[in-house]
Amino acid sequence: MAVDAALATVPAPGSAFPDLELPDHTGRLRSLTEIAGGDPLVLVTSRGWWCPKEQRFLRGLVALQDELEIAYSRLAVLSIDPPEVSAAFRAGLGARFLFLSDEERVWLDALGLSETTDTVHHPYRPATFTLFPDLRVHRAYNGYWFWGRPTLEELRRDLREITRAIRPDWELA
Amino acid sequence: MTGSSRLVWDGETLATALGSPGRRFRADPRCFAGEPVADAWAHVCALPDEDAKLPYDDVTVQQARRDALAWWLPRLGDSLVCLTTLAVDPVNFGGAVTVATHPDAFADDPFARVFPGTVVRTDLFCRVPPPPGPALERYSGAAWPGGSFEPRRNR
Repeated sequence: MAVDAALATVPAPGSAFPDLELPDHTGRLRSLTEIAGGDPLVLVTSRGWWCPKEQRFLRGLVALQDELEIAYSRLAVLSIDPPEVSAAFRAGLGARFLFLSDEERVWLDALGLSETTDTVHHPYRPATFTLFPDLRVHRAYNGYWFWGRPTLEELRRDLREITRAIRPDWELA
Repeated sequence: MTGSSRLVWDGETLATALGSPGRRFRADPRCFAGEPVADAWAHVCALPDEDAKLPYDDVTVQQARRDALAWWLPRLGDSLVCLTTLAVDPVNFGGAVTVATHPDAFADDPFARVFPGTVVRTDLFCRVPPPPGPALERYSGAAWPGGSFEPRRNR
């Protein structure tokens, strides 16, 4: 897939996140639109399985998955790990959400999310995006510093705000 | 989306034709909306007995869906054709069908913990990507993993 690396702009709130199409942890091609499936989507870019900060953060997201599963909300993690590595990491975490693999680093520069301080792995910069079903960005979090990442409460707040905006029967009256 | 959701099971044969003998279920219509995969294998975890049903919200059925997302579907790999649960009505689960091009992995089907599985040959099902997760809840009574609220998006 040809991606215009010249864009190199981190998707900001209010803008449309590109509809990436990448292999998931089983190797199947998935688009972000397919993953969202008409629901709010949390998209996490992650350095990779080897990073202790990613391990800790994703364990936190595993704690949230029980709620996501029954609340019509989606979650996906994007890294440069190959599908088979993501599959093993996912199984080790006990995650049931989807991992996307950009092993070829097709989108890394185009999204402006290259981790410039890691010249060994050349991974994604950690970030979290809460997205509307049409992939508009609601909020974006820079997770380079661990405390920049959203707490589970902040994700709940974002998903509540998005759900309120898209479900016409949200209000009691 | 095209394709009927009707699926009939008599304990030995799957059918979609109107009037076919057996127990009638609603399946994910995406499974019948494309080019059928010839000589596939179906693992039918359902019984022809009309009383063999549980609410979709039963913890056993919920956990089988979690297991399907976590490890069942990834284990099937490229041999997976599609998966659908079988809805009896808007509330009740009558079983599930997993379709693959090879039957080796069916012994681990998490839905076989709910209703016993039977392996049959089938030409009825087309390829449908497995659900990306993590949605486990059904959309307005659709047979999981089908359905969505997509027509309402962007409001």
